[in-house]
Amino acid sequence: MQLKPRAGDYVIIAAIIITAVLMAFLFLENDSIEKVAVITHNNTVLDTVRLDRVNDRYTLNYQGEYPGTIEAENGRIRFSHAECPDQVCVRTGWISRPGQIAVCLPAGIIVKIEGNVTDEDIDIIVR
Amino acid sequence: MKKLTLNSMLISLAVVLSYAERFIPLDLIVPLPGIKLGFANIVTMFALFFLGIPSAITVTVLRCLLASLLFGGMSSLLYSLSGAFFALNVMILLKLGYNKFFSLLGISMGGAAAHNTGQIIMASLMMRNTAIFSYLPFLLLTGLGTGLITAVITVNLFRIIEKTNSV
Repeated sequence: MQLKPRAGDYVIIAAIIITAVLMAFLFLENDSIEKVAVITHNNTVLDTVRLDRVNDRYTLNYQGEYPGTIEAENGRIRFSHAECPDQVCVRTGWISRPGQIAVCLPAGIIVKIEGNVTDEDIDIIVR
Repeated sequence: MKKLTLNSMLISLAVVLSYAERFIPLDLIVPLPGIKLGFANIVTMFALFFLGIPSAITVTVLRCLLASLLFGGMSSLLYSLSGAFFALNVMILLKLGYNKFFSLLGISMGGAAAHNTGQIIMASLMMRNTAIFSYLPFLLLTGLGTGLITAVITVNLFRIIEKTNSV
Protein backbone atom coordinates (compact mmCIF):
# COMPACT_ATOMS: atom_id res chain seq x y z
CA MET A 1 0.00 0.00 0.00
CA GLN A 2 1.31 3.37 -1.03
CA LEU A 3 0.25 6.86 -0.13
CA LYS A 4 -0.91 7.69 -3.65
CA PRO A 5 -3.09 10.77 -3.55
CA ARG A 6 -6.27 10.56 -5.61
CA ALA A 7 -8.03 13.40 -7.40
CA GLY A 8 -10.53 13.70 -4.55
CA ASP A 9 -7.72 14.31 -2.05
CA TYR A 10 -6.78 17.50 -3.86
CA VAL A 11 -10.44 18.54 -3.86
CA ILE A 12 -10.52 18.06 -0.06
CA ILE A 13 -7.26 20.00 0.43
CA ALA A 14 -8.48 22.82 -1.81
CA ALA A 15 -11.86 22.92 -0.07
CA ILE A 16 -10.20 23.17 3.36
CA ILE A 17 -7.80 25.92 2.25
CA ILE A 18 -10.54 27.93 0.53
CA THR A 19 -12.85 27.60 3.55
CA ALA A 20 -10.06 28.68 5.90
CA VAL A 21 -9.06 31.70 3.81
CA LEU A 22 -12.68 32.83 3.34
CA MET A 23 -13.35 32.48 7.06
CA ALA A 24 -10.16 34.37 7.92
CA PHE A 25 -11.28 37.26 5.71
CA LEU A 26 -14.72 37.14 7.30
CA PHE A 27 -13.21 37.68 10.74
CA LEU A 28 -10.73 40.30 9.57
CA GLU A 29 -11.49 43.76 10.83
CA ASN A 30 -9.94 47.07 9.91
CA ASP A 31 -7.48 48.55 12.32
CA SER A 32 -8.96 51.50 14.13
CA ILE A 33 -7.85 54.04 16.65
CA GLU A 34 -10.66 53.24 19.01
CA LYS A 35 -10.22 49.83 20.52
CA VAL A 36 -12.34 48.18 23.15
CA ALA A 37 -11.39 44.88 24.70
CA VAL A 38 -14.48 43.00 25.83
CA ILE A 39 -13.82 40.40 28.51
CA THR A 40 -16.56 37.79 28.73
CA HIS A 41 -17.18 34.70 30.81
CA ASN A 42 -19.83 32.40 29.32
CA ASN A 43 -21.34 35.34 27.49
CA THR A 44 -21.61 37.60 30.53
CA VAL A 45 -19.44 40.65 30.11
CA LEU A 46 -17.02 40.93 33.02
CA ASP A 47 -15.52 44.21 31.88
CA THR A 48 -14.78 46.37 28.86
CA VAL A 49 -11.49 48.20 28.50
CA ARG A 50 -10.84 51.16 26.20
CA LEU A 51 -7.39 50.01 25.07
CA ASP A 52 -6.55 53.34 23.44
CA ARG A 53 -7.25 55.03 26.74
CA VAL A 54 -5.37 52.84 29.19
CA ASN A 55 -3.02 55.37 30.69
CA ASP A 56 -1.12 53.38 33.20
CA ARG A 57 -1.93 49.73 33.51
CA TYR A 58 -5.15 47.81 33.80
CA THR A 59 -5.46 44.47 35.57
CA LEU A 60 -8.42 42.19 36.12
CA ASN A 61 -8.29 39.15 38.38
CA TYR A 62 -10.95 36.58 37.67
CA GLN A 63 -11.90 33.75 39.98
CA GLY A 64 -13.41 30.32 39.37
CA GLU A 65 -12.05 26.83 38.93
CA TYR A 66 -9.07 28.17 36.97
CA PRO A 67 -8.41 31.74 38.15
CA GLY A 68 -6.14 34.14 36.33
CA THR A 69 -5.14 37.70 35.56
CA ILE A 70 -5.71 39.83 32.48
CA GLU A 71 -3.63 42.93 32.00
CA ALA A 72 -3.80 45.77 29.51
CA GLU A 73 -1.47 48.60 28.64
CA ASN A 74 -1.41 51.24 25.95
CA GLY A 75 -3.31 49.60 23.07
CA ARG A 76 -2.85 45.93 23.92
CA ILE A 77 -4.16 43.27 26.27
CA ARG A 78 -3.20 39.75 27.35
CA PHE A 79 -3.64 36.95 29.84
CA SER A 80 -0.62 37.62 32.06
CA HIS A 81 -1.24 34.73 34.41
CA ALA A 82 -3.58 31.75 34.48
CA GLU A 83 -3.92 28.62 36.51
CA CYS A 84 -5.46 26.57 33.72
CA PRO A 85 -3.68 23.33 32.74
CA ASP A 86 -2.92 24.14 29.08
CA GLN A 87 -1.62 27.76 29.39
CA VAL A 88 -2.68 28.43 25.79
CA CYS A 89 -4.27 31.71 26.91
CA VAL A 90 -0.99 33.01 28.39
CA ARG A 91 1.06 31.85 25.39
CA THR A 92 -1.29 33.66 23.01
CA GLY A 93 0.48 36.79 24.27
CA TRP A 94 -0.53 40.36 23.60
CA ILE A 95 -3.38 41.03 21.20
CA SER A 96 -3.88 44.52 19.82
CA ARG A 97 -5.90 44.46 16.59
CA PRO A 98 -9.68 44.65 16.26
CA GLY A 99 -11.04 41.17 15.58
CA GLN A 100 -8.29 39.42 17.51
CA ILE A 101 -9.21 37.19 20.43
CA ALA A 102 -7.44 35.55 23.34
CA VAL A 103 -9.21 32.63 24.94
CA CYS A 104 -8.89 30.53 28.05
CA LEU A 105 -11.00 27.52 27.18
CA PRO A 106 -10.78 25.79 30.60
CA ALA A 107 -11.79 28.98 32.43
CA GLY A 108 -14.38 29.96 29.81
CA ILE A 109 -12.93 33.45 29.39
CA ILE A 110 -12.78 35.24 26.03
CA VAL A 111 -11.06 38.57 25.43
CA LYS A 112 -12.10 40.11 22.12
CA ILE A 113 -10.93 43.41 20.68
CA GLU A 114 -13.57 45.45 18.93
CA GLY A 115 -12.87 48.53 16.86
CA ASN A 116 -14.82 51.65 15.87
CA VAL A 117 -17.06 51.81 18.85
CA THR A 118 -19.95 54.14 19.15
CA ASP A 119 -18.98 55.21 22.59
CA GLU A 120 -21.10 56.63 25.36
CA ASP A 121 -17.97 57.38 27.36
CA ILE A 122 -17.27 60.40 25.17
CA ASP A 123 -18.97 63.39 26.77
CA ILE A 124 -18.02 66.04 24.25
CA ILE A 125 -15.81 66.35 21.19
CA VAL A 126 -14.02 69.67 20.83
CA ARG A 127 -12.78 70.55 17.38
CA MET B 1 -14.28 -13.20 20.84
CA LYS B 2 -11.32 -12.25 18.70
CA LYS B 3 -13.10 -9.05 17.73
CA LEU B 4 -13.82 -8.18 21.37
CA THR B 5 -10.17 -8.60 22.28
CA LEU B 6 -9.07 -6.58 19.29
CA ASN B 7 -11.53 -3.79 20.08
CA SER B 8 -10.35 -3.62 23.70
CA MET B 9 -6.73 -3.52 22.59
CA LEU B 10 -7.50 -0.71 20.17
CA ILE B 11 -9.29 1.30 22.87
CA SER B 12 -6.33 1.04 25.23
CA LEU B 13 -3.91 1.84 22.41
CA ALA B 14 -5.93 4.94 21.50
CA VAL B 15 -5.99 6.07 25.14
CA VAL B 16 -2.22 5.64 25.39
CA LEU B 17 -1.73 7.59 22.15
CA SER B 18 -3.94 10.44 23.40
CA TYR B 19 -1.81 10.52 26.53
CA ALA B 20 1.50 10.23 24.68
CA GLU B 21 0.78 13.13 22.34
CA ARG B 22 0.53 15.41 25.36
CA PHE B 23 4.32 15.17 25.41
CA ILE B 24 4.43 16.72 21.93
CA PRO B 25 2.78 20.03 22.84
CA LEU B 26 2.03 21.63 19.47
CA ASP B 27 0.45 24.57 21.28
CA LEU B 28 3.96 25.62 22.36
CA ILE B 29 4.68 26.44 18.72
CA VAL B 30 1.19 27.52 17.67
CA PRO B 31 -0.86 28.71 20.65
CA LEU B 32 -4.31 27.67 19.45
CA PRO B 33 -6.82 26.10 21.82
CA GLY B 34 -7.48 22.49 20.87
CA ILE B 35 -4.49 22.03 18.56
CA LYS B 36 -3.06 18.50 18.64
CA LEU B 37 -1.56 15.80 16.46
CA GLY B 38 -4.57 13.51 16.61
CA PHE B 39 -2.68 10.22 16.87
CA ALA B 40 -5.81 8.54 18.24
CA ASN B 41 -7.21 8.94 14.75
CA ILE B 42 -4.71 6.33 13.52
CA VAL B 43 -6.57 3.80 15.67
CA THR B 44 -9.96 5.05 14.47
CA MET B 45 -8.90 4.68 10.83
CA PHE B 46 -7.55 1.19 11.52
CA ALA B 47 -10.85 0.16 13.14
CA LEU B 48 -12.82 1.72 10.28
CA PHE B 49 -10.85 -0.03 7.54
CA PHE B 50 -10.21 -3.45 9.09
CA LEU B 51 -13.09 -4.00 11.51
CA GLY B 52 -15.96 -1.93 10.17
CA ILE B 53 -18.13 0.99 11.20
CA PRO B 54 -19.60 -0.47 14.45
CA SER B 55 -16.09 -1.19 15.73
CA ALA B 56 -14.89 2.28 14.79
CA ILE B 57 -17.80 3.88 16.68
CA THR B 58 -17.27 1.69 19.77
CA VAL B 59 -13.53 2.28 19.88
CA THR B 60 -13.91 6.05 19.38
CA VAL B 61 -16.63 6.61 21.99
CA LEU B 62 -14.95 4.45 24.64
CA ARG B 63 -11.56 6.00 23.91
CA CYS B 64 -12.98 9.50 24.49
CA LEU B 65 -14.73 8.36 27.67
CA LEU B 66 -11.64 6.66 29.13
CA ALA B 67 -9.18 9.40 28.17
CA SER B 68 -11.42 12.05 29.74
CA LEU B 69 -11.92 10.00 32.91
CA LEU B 70 -8.20 9.39 33.27
CA PHE B 71 -6.69 12.75 32.42
CA GLY B 72 -9.35 15.18 31.36
CA GLY B 73 -12.63 16.14 32.87
CA MET B 74 -16.24 16.68 31.98
CA SER B 75 -15.50 19.51 29.55
CA SER B 76 -12.70 17.58 27.85
CA LEU B 77 -15.16 14.70 27.33
CA LEU B 78 -17.61 17.02 25.53
CA TYR B 79 -14.82 18.48 23.38
CA SER B 80 -13.32 15.14 22.40
CA LEU B 81 -16.72 13.51 21.77
CA SER B 82 -17.92 16.36 19.54
CA GLY B 83 -14.66 16.39 17.60
CA ALA B 84 -14.62 12.61 17.28
CA PHE B 85 -18.30 12.49 16.26
CA PHE B 86 -17.75 14.95 13.40
CA ALA B 87 -14.47 13.33 12.32
CA LEU B 88 -15.88 9.80 12.33
CA ASN B 89 -18.95 10.77 10.31
CA VAL B 90 -16.88 12.56 7.69
CA MET B 91 -14.39 9.68 7.46
CA ILE B 92 -17.21 7.10 7.11
CA LEU B 93 -18.60 9.16 4.21
CA LEU B 94 -15.20 9.67 2.56
CA LYS B 95 -14.41 5.96 2.89
CA LEU B 96 -17.29 5.26 0.48
CA GLY B 97 -15.07 6.77 -2.21
CA TYR B 98 -11.87 5.11 -0.98
CA ASN B 99 -9.47 4.13 -3.78
CA LYS B 100 -11.77 5.59 -6.43
CA PHE B 101 -11.75 9.24 -5.35
CA PHE B 102 -9.85 9.45 -2.08
CA SER B 103 -6.76 7.94 -0.51
CA LEU B 104 -6.04 7.78 3.21
CA LEU B 105 -4.52 11.25 2.84
CA GLY B 106 -7.83 12.92 1.99
CA ILE B 107 -9.74 10.83 4.52
CA SER B 108 -7.27 11.74 7.28
CA MET B 109 -7.22 15.46 6.39
CA GLY B 110 -10.99 15.58 6.03
CA GLY B 111 -11.29 13.89 9.43
CA ALA B 112 -8.91 16.42 11.01
CA ALA B 113 -10.86 19.37 9.57
CA ALA B 114 -14.14 17.86 10.78
CA HIS B 115 -12.64 17.25 14.22
CA ASN B 116 -11.57 20.89 14.57
CA THR B 117 -14.96 22.11 13.34
CA GLY B 118 -16.78 19.91 15.84
CA GLN B 119 -14.61 21.11 18.71
CA ILE B 120 -15.06 24.79 17.84
CA ILE B 121 -18.84 24.32 17.59
CA MET B 122 -18.81 22.65 21.03
CA ALA B 123 -16.59 25.42 22.45
CA SER B 124 -18.89 28.14 21.15
CA LEU B 125 -21.90 26.33 22.61
CA MET B 126 -20.23 25.89 25.98
CA MET B 127 -18.95 29.45 26.17
CA ARG B 128 -22.13 30.79 24.52
CA ASN B 129 -19.94 32.99 22.35
CA THR B 130 -19.19 32.70 18.64
CA ALA B 131 -15.95 34.74 18.86
CA ILE B 132 -14.02 31.47 19.20
CA PHE B 133 -14.83 30.69 15.54
CA SER B 134 -12.06 33.10 14.50
CA TYR B 135 -9.59 30.36 15.51
CA LEU B 136 -11.16 27.86 13.09
CA PRO B 137 -9.32 29.00 9.92
CA PHE B 138 -5.96 28.49 11.65
CA LEU B 139 -7.02 25.14 13.09
CA LEU B 140 -8.21 24.01 9.64
CA LEU B 141 -4.83 24.90 8.10
CA THR B 142 -2.79 23.19 10.84
CA GLY B 143 -5.14 20.21 10.42
CA LEU B 144 -3.76 19.74 6.90
CA GLY B 145 -0.32 19.18 8.42
CA THR B 146 -1.42 16.92 11.26
CA GLY B 147 -3.74 15.05 8.88
CA LEU B 148 -0.75 14.40 6.60
CA ILE B 149 1.35 13.08 9.51
CA THR B 150 -1.36 10.68 10.71
CA ALA B 151 -2.01 9.56 7.12
CA VAL B 152 1.67 8.68 6.58
CA ILE B 153 1.78 6.70 9.85
CA THR B 154 -1.49 4.92 9.06
CA VAL B 155 -0.41 3.95 5.53
CA ASN B 156 2.80 2.44 6.89
CA LEU B 157 0.85 0.61 9.57
CA PHE B 158 -1.58 -0.79 6.99
CA ARG B 159 1.35 -1.85 4.79
CA ILE B 160 2.92 -3.84 7.60
CA ILE B 161 -0.40 -5.45 8.49
CA GLU B 162 -1.08 -6.46 4.90
CA LYS B 163 2.43 -7.85 4.51
CA THR B 164 2.22 -10.02 7.61
CA ASN B 165 -1.50 -10.70 7.06
CA SER B 166 -1.96 -10.53 10.79
CA VAL B 167 -5.54 -9.38 11.12
